[in-house]
Amino acid sequence: MDLFDALLDPWRSGIERRALIEMALLGGFCGGLGFWVTTFRLSYPAESLAHGMLPGLVIAALAGVPLLLGGVAGVLVAATAIGLAGRDPRVGSDTATAVAVTGMLGLGGLLALAPDAPARLEELLFGNLLAISDSELLAAALLAALGGFALVALHRPLSAVALDPQGASSLGIQPTAVTLALLGMLAAALAVAVQGLGSLLVLAVLVAPAMAVRRHATSPAQGMSAAALTAIVAGIAGVYASDALDIAAGASVALALCLAALVGSALPARQAGRNGGALLRSRASQ
Amino acid sequence: MTRPAVKASELALSYDGPAVLDGVDFSLDPGSSLCVLGPNGGGKTTLFRALIGELTPLHGSVAVDRRPAYVAQTERTRLDFPVSALDVALMGSLADGRWWLPARRRDRDSAGAALRRVGLGDQAHVRFGELSGGQRQRVLLARALVQDAAVLLLDEPLAGVDPASADRIAALFAELRNEGRTLLVSTHDVESARAFDRVLCLNHRQVAFGEPSAALTRTVLEQTYGDEIVVIEDDAAGGGVRAVTVQHHSHSH
Amino acid sequence: MRIALLEVSLVAVAGGLLGAWIVLRRLAFFAHAVGTATFPGLVIADATGFSATVAGLAVALGFAGGVERVGRAGRDLGDAATALVLVAALALGVVLASDVYESGAAVDRLLFGSALALGGEDLWVAAIAAALAVVATAILGRGWTAVGFDSTGASALGIPTRVADLLLLALVAVAAVAALPAVGALLVTSLFVVPAATATLISGSVQGLLGASVGIALAQGALGLYGSLWLDVPPGPAVAVVGAALYAVVAVARPGHVAPARVEAA
Repeated sequence: MDLFDALLDPWRSGIERRALIEMALLGGFCGGLGFWVTTFRLSYPAESLAHGMLPGLVIAALAGVPLLLGGVAGVLVAATAIGLAGRDPRVGSDTATAVAVTGMLGLGGLLALAPDAPARLEELLFGNLLAISDSELLAAALLAALGGFALVALHRPLSAVALDPQGASSLGIQPTAVTLALLGMLAAALAVAVQGLGSLLVLAVLVAPAMAVRRHATSPAQGMSAAALTAIVAGIAGVYASDALDIAAGASVALALCLAALVGSALPARQAGRNGGALLRSRASQ
Repeated sequence: MTRPAVKASELALSYDGPAVLDGVDFSLDPGSSLCVLGPNGGGKTTLFRALIGELTPLHGSVAVDRRPAYVAQTERTRLDFPVSALDVALMGSLADGRWWLPARRRDRDSAGAALRRVGLGDQAHVRFGELSGGQRQRVLLARALVQDAAVLLLDEPLAGVDPASADRIAALFAELRNEGRTLLVSTHDVESARAFDRVLCLNHRQVAFGEPSAALTRTVLEQTYGDEIVVIEDDAAGGGVRAVTVQHHSHSH
Repeated sequence: MRIALLEVSLVAVAGGLLGAWIVLRRLAFFAHAVGTATFPGLVIADATGFSATVAGLAVALGFAGGVERVGRAGRDLGDAATALVLVAALALGVVLASDVYESGAAVDRLLFGSALALGGEDLWVAAIAAALAVVATAILGRGWTAVGFDSTGASALGIPTRVADLLLLALVAVAAVAALPAVGALLVTSLFVVPAATATLISGSVQGLLGASVGIALAQGALGLYGSLWLDVPPGPAVAVVGAALYAVVAVARPGHVAPARVEAA
């Protein structure tokens, strides 16, 4: 009965119940989305956007405006800055992105650590999972519902573009439009997930589950679902661990997700079916 | 019996896995020229990398008399590097074994002379990336000249090069051979192979090696290129076939 | 204050010189990663009184070695895996700082730097890093240029390409550790990438790039340090914002010329 109690305890506490529900929702959507983020080799851009949105979050916090708005604005501004920097042909896009992200991280730090600023920087950097408000939970639920629907609707075009962009356009699927849809979902996911995990850790919920399953999935649909499931399980495990060990919740979840990625990529791959394996390998090995 | 300039004995090469090139066995005398034919991915560049020493043989051996110069396709070089034509030519002097020391006066003179020899004396200070494809190829040749190597490996040197540059480059090849250097040139131009002393056909294995008239038979070409070859004239009376290759160039270099 | 300026200037020299190579060899992400990865080590050192330099070097060099190994297994795996390593390092650091050692106040300083903490052992480390950067550039510069330009050709010329690359990664790791007290684990790029990127916009040769990069880094470091003291914020963000602003101004003021149409004539 002790184990049973221990498992049920967090659900009884309002604070942790929220955290668990948040991670279930975020994990479900971001895990599935993350499968495509890694397949399309968008890990570095995703990380850049996550870091670059910091000034948006800080300004929202300073102005007393909901963080979700700050997150959305932050991602949009970050994407613009990164895009503009990358257009200069003299500097490589990796370098240009690094310049933009450095500037934005710096700006966020500057604003947040100014003498009279309320000390909330750590929440913005590392998340505030145990203080999720009802409205933030609602946002996560909406994201999971709408985003999940979009992912299911788009998963065949996404597969087609991932495997062979030229071939896809000959089938009438526009690679640009599909990629833009993916980026849009990424932006939304970042804006919502950053409340719980923070600008520096949010990438874990996107990339780690995909990394855990990539060698084992035999089809994109399977990969997407497995990643979502892994994210939910690891996310919930992280909240439990944070409660049991009395450590920061966001960090605990991030570590659980990274651990899942490590275990998943270390496990020997079973004989991957030709099609799924080819999809995962073709974009990865350029 | 002179020492061969290049010798491969039962050479097999791989990139951490099964052999991608097998059964390579040939020998080249100093001052001769070799044309290496084969489809994309068939092993031409792999062989060159082994000759440079970048790849250790899976089995067999390869020996090159002193360090060869390598002239790459310019797509493999970085076009956005802030280097001038002279800077690139000067890189050839790094081969003198003291690459950690600054370039000497005579290295600079040598680089300038090499650029003039390939007809780019006036472009010495132009940024490498701003030159045309043919000019870039000639700059890489100048680098090889500065290196003053006895053996030169040229990886598709005429690919995408305008006719005027191509003529200049071909003339330079003749000069280099007259100086006693050994040239190994990989190409897709089957017809041009006839001008060489020897030809080597590779398609994951050595299909043929020998004098062009003897080695370039229809069978050999078909085994080398598969369906990428179009035979124009089948000369049954001897002297080989006339053929052109049809390449499926991928657009993601 | 003078000590702080001296230390930041020494770090700027290292950052400017090595930054040129970081930009030429596309190592910006690595430079950011190697700094960030040291965070948990710094937390432990800070709480236990162990030398932050040694802890930082151990992690940074270990990370550099690991990256070199993994990098040969395929680039895509490298980016995603590196990003996760960084997340894990940050998460671990936070847990250590807020729950194990309860030194939560140190987090801001370790991530963003501190002008007050400069001097002493850090100053020596910065001086060594600057000296190493100068010597390495003088000796290995030609080799690094040749390898970056055409690595197979450089092999053919007899340059030990793998050793040269390893040395570059190791030097960046060491110099990044020297920068940590001043700009913090998150903003190593403010002196190691941004000045060199700005310099790329205005220089046409490798020598010019090196010179401009150091000059810009020194100016950025000084302005950033003064700004940080004036506004009472950590130096890292100030240096980063000054640098990014400078980059933006130069990028707009000196628009890149479109590559001339390749007229295929002899």
